[in-house]
Amino acid sequence: MQYHFQLEGQSLIATLRGELDLHTSPRFKEELTRLFETHSNVTHLIMDVKGLSFVDSSGLGVILGRYRELQERGGRLFFVQANPQVKRILQMSGFQKIAEFSNSTSDVLERI
Amino acid sequence: MTSTNWIKLEIPSDTRNVAFARTAVALFASQLDWTLDELEDIKVAVSEAVSNSVIHGYGLQEGLVKIGASYTGPELRIVIEDFGRGIADIEQAQEVGFTSIPEERMGLGFTFMHEYMDEVLVASQVDTGTTITMIKRVRDLES
Ligand SMILES: Nc1ncnc2c1ncn2[C@@H]1O[C@H](COP(=O)(O)OP(=O)(O)OP(=O)(O)O)[C@@H](O)[C@H]1O
Ligand SMILES: [Mg+2]
Repeated sequence: MQYHFQLEGQSLIATLRGELDLHTSPRFKEELTRLFETHSNVTHLIMDVKGLSFVDSSGLGVILGRYRELQERGGRLFFVQANPQVKRILQMSGFQKIAEFSNSTSDVLERI
Repeated sequence: MTSTNWIKLEIPSDTRNVAFARTAVALFASQLDWTLDELEDIKVAVSEAVSNSVIHGYGLQEGLVKIGASYTGPELRIVIEDFGRGIADIEQAQEVGFTSIPEERMGLGFTFMHEYMDEVLVASQVDTGTTITMIKRVRDLES
């Protein structure tokens, strides 16, 4: 699991590569939480999941938890370039009700 | 070649082994004729069951997880067994969104197993352990 973060105004872009599961999600959670703490202006979370090859409930729980923190700041959650399997599990978990799906990060940044 | 085969794995309840378990079972399962989506389904189901053993069965402490996979003809059977805490209310545990750790988890593991596999059977006894049996059948593409 590899990931990197990029700040764009009020948005945090998280780019993920690999598998987000019970083993890899705690560190991702910690880093996201720390970034939200140190950058109190960050409102929106853009998850670039093009390179995410696997996610299960452990990973989704972490994403949902961070979204809840942002919700308190009036933030929005985006998934960019989710592959069909990832999209399916996101939809089954109800993420289509709270998150927006897009094909490019720049589209999202324009939309915000 | 016969149309039956099986594997057995025993792993310590280390979070790193969840990826190993789902990949190994998917690799074995790929001896049958699944679509790519179906192989992903199997990976998620195994990941959920093994993660549950590690998190809930053993509370992230040391323990043994046994994994068996077998097929006869088009029917794949996967068994995940732990000797941990067990589940007091098996029905409630399988409800969508039920979790004993609401601060961290969504309570969707069993939901995914049911969604992605054809059958999921849960046997559990408190302080003895939990056995999850999951079955998935290859769809006949001709029909
Ligand atoms: N192997 C197990 N041993 C003991 N308890 C279990 C086991 N598997 C599941 N449970 C119980 O069943 C509940 C529901 O499991 P489920 O996988 O659906 O949700 P979760 O693990 O709590 O959350 P999520 O899977 O979304 O991360 C768990 O919270 C736990 O109380
Ligand atoms: Mg679970």
